[in-house]
Amino acid sequence: MAESAVSIKGLRFRYRDKKELVIDDFSLDIQEGEFLVIMGANETGKSTLVSFFNGLIPHYTKGPMEGDVFVRGKNTKEHKVPELAEDVGIVFQDFEAQLFSTNVELEVAFGPENFAIDREEIKRRIQENLEFVGLEEFRRRSPATLSGGQKQKLAIASVLAMEPNILAMDEATTDLDPISKQGIYEITNKLRQREDMTLVVVEHDTEEVLDADRIVLMKDGKVAELGPAQEILRRGDLLAELGVMPLGIPRFFEQMGSSTLPLTPEDGKKIFEKENWKISDSLYRNLVEKEQDELSQKKHEPIIQVRGLKHTYPNGVEALSGTDLDIYKGEIVAIVGQNGSGKTTLAKHLNALLIPTEGEVEIYGKTTAEQGVFEIGKKVGYVFQNPDHQIFSERVYDEVIYGPRLRNVPDDEAEKRVKESLKAVGLEGFEDADPFSLTKSGRQRVAVASVLSIRPDVLILDEPTTGLDYDGQRGMMDMVVELNKQGSTIIFITHHMWVVAAYADRVYVVKDGKILLEGLTREIFAEEKILKDSFLRPPHFVQFSNLLGKTFLSDSEMISCMEGK
Amino acid sequence: MNIDFYLDIDTVIHRFDGRTKIILFLASFLALVLFEDPLYILPIALLILLQNFLARAWMNIWRIRFLLFLLTFTSIIMWNLFASGETHLFWFVDLESLLYSIARTMLILLMIISGLNLLSTTRNEELVLGMIKLGLPYRVGFAISTSLRMVPTISTSIHTISQAQRSRGLDLEGGGILERLRKFIPILIPVFISTIRDTNVFGMALESKGFGARDDRTYYLEMNMDRSDHLVLAFCLLIIGISLYLEFAGYGDIAGLTKF
Repeated sequence: MAESAVSIKGLRFRYRDKKELVIDDFSLDIQEGEFLVIMGANETGKSTLVSFFNGLIPHYTKGPMEGDVFVRGKNTKEHKVPELAEDVGIVFQDFEAQLFSTNVELEVAFGPENFAIDREEIKRRIQENLEFVGLEEFRRRSPATLSGGQKQKLAIASVLAMEPNILAMDEATTDLDPISKQGIYEITNKLRQREDMTLVVVEHDTEEVLDADRIVLMKDGKVAELGPAQEILRRGDLLAELGVMPLGIPRFFEQMGSSTLPLTPEDGKKIFEKENWKISDSLYRNLVEKEQDELSQKKHEPIIQVRGLKHTYPNGVEALSGTDLDIYKGEIVAIVGQNGSGKTTLAKHLNALLIPTEGEVEIYGKTTAEQGVFEIGKKVGYVFQNPDHQIFSERVYDEVIYGPRLRNVPDDEAEKRVKESLKAVGLEGFEDADPFSLTKSGRQRVAVASVLSIRPDVLILDEPTTGLDYDGQRGMMDMVVELNKQGSTIIFITHHMWVVAAYADRVYVVKDGKILLEGLTREIFAEEKILKDSFLRPPHFVQFSNLLGKTFLSDSEMISCMEGK
Repeated sequence: MNIDFYLDIDTVIHRFDGRTKIILFLASFLALVLFEDPLYILPIALLILLQNFLARAWMNIWRIRFLLFLLTFTSIIMWNLFASGETHLFWFVDLESLLYSIARTMLILLMIISGLNLLSTTRNEELVLGMIKLGLPYRVGFAISTSLRMVPTISTSIHTISQAQRSRGLDLEGGGILERLRKFIPILIPVFISTIRDTNVFGMALESKGFGARDDRTYYLEMNMDRSDHLVLAFCLLIIGISLYLEFAGYGDIAGLTKF
């Protein structure tokens, strides 16, 4: 029997400021050379568990703990975090905070320096690891100038330079666009070739973990299910129940009554053809035409018009180079693109947080330059990506009423709006709650409510689903659709492609400061090649349908168009 | 928004050893505080500006021009209140106190510029290593460099957060002093909280990379004093020597100046 890389025995833990256990009677053996994925809803103890591997708990973050964690035979209670760094490397989600050197080489050198490795050997390790993650050409660059994906690759290289046998990634790809995400998983796949390398990955995105050996699903700090990845991933109901996104492809085949459930688009195509199934051309045409009719009706009343927009930051970087965009009343529009493509810069122009260097942005026919943020804020509300960048009150009520008060809305009217806004985001009865004690999705909702209470016609949401689990993401977007039905026009920025497929009417693809593609969601997702160039890819299910020559956005859509069904 | 002052270019100043650049900074500091008379400060001023010119770091001065203007303006007036002389000019300003104010203003501006010269030409890691080689413990050096590193992070979050609040209708202009201070609360609280959170992740990442694993550590960065470093240091020593001599010989003061 192979030796355990990590062995967790009867672990219980609770944070000092919390009443409930985060980890509750958890036992697990992770084999040497294994690729284990930890999945589950938010707040189920996934990150906490990873923090035990190199002793961050109980040494850095303290709290009452029972049970033991052994890393390659060492009890982590008896070894400090820095000592364990040669055994376990950890890559965190936040790529800004974990890089601290002024150039790429020095970042990789930092770990080995701490272990007093001699200079020649450090030099060799820098070379080896930068080559491994594909960053050699950036060795003299400052980490701050790298893209998100490159920063995470650097974080991996800097940890690998200490030559650990276990690499843990705690939601390391959460903030990345789909192709950068794939880039990270290409690296992990390469690492698997090393026999003694154990990989432990916390991930929300089910489509990225098909290659794992085992998956452990967590619930309330316990093991809810543990098994071979291929097996677990086929159990869509189980995944959904535990707050993890089920895969569309096996779900489709299950509903079709197939005995084999493929996981990848390619396998799906093979089995689809073997079963001799057919998609009805006429039903598909109806679907597409009906959709086009519905959506073209929305294109009557323009609210936002952007013409030839250019923006150059004070440091000389041109973030937008000639962009046109139109937003009509009642639409749900997604803006997608690689990290750093200019989508946030573009969105910030739509409510005058940024003023064009060249070109024009008009809201209801008047330029943003002549109206200013205060005026436009009433018509176009902007929910920032990180709710913690705006929440400052001790009560949810105070936070939500802040906007109306600043705009001198009379008290009774303001109170009415707070009520409505909290109802809209599903936080009725939370008026007196402390926003900081809410979960990420709760804080996100407070942030949305505090913008809604200003009653803007247009709502811009920057990455509304990032950092939320599947239920949280769905809940957030269902709420957004509800707001849309009540009359709000919605613009959202995202790199969650399934969210685009499920919720957007129309999509703008931004690349290098320009609009690369614009169209209905279905049209956009049919252009897989162009999307790939802009670091995007449709969800697996859409890719699968593209392989069959039609573009379906969901399994239910496809089933409704099957011949003889 | 980027407040990192280091300029990644290759100039004669950049090529100096980290220690040399730190010593230059300290020496400028010493030479500046010796004299009260602007005329005696002038040569040192010219040398500091020459260093800035050679380092092609003038854009960093330009970047903080508003701060420098503000300091110049307030300092030239303010120091008159703390000194008086025999030749009355107008209001509370005497010729001697004016000269003194000019000298003090030069001192402040030049110290900032000298600091900028150091930061523009020295990487954070080089600064730490320089300080350690000059005898500072590693942890102290690292703490200094970490606080320097926090500046751009905090300024970015201030920027984002004030955008978020402005889009909710916060107008920072206008209102009395108290009201203005009150308006900063919605910015300060999120900045404070997100900084604490960043620092926490930073601390975890630091330990996870083996920081403090052993008592000794190695450095990948190489530092060597060569001939040009020795020449500059010798020149520096000469200037300090002359300055000290002049000071002890009684030069460089303003005759008839009374400081309060």
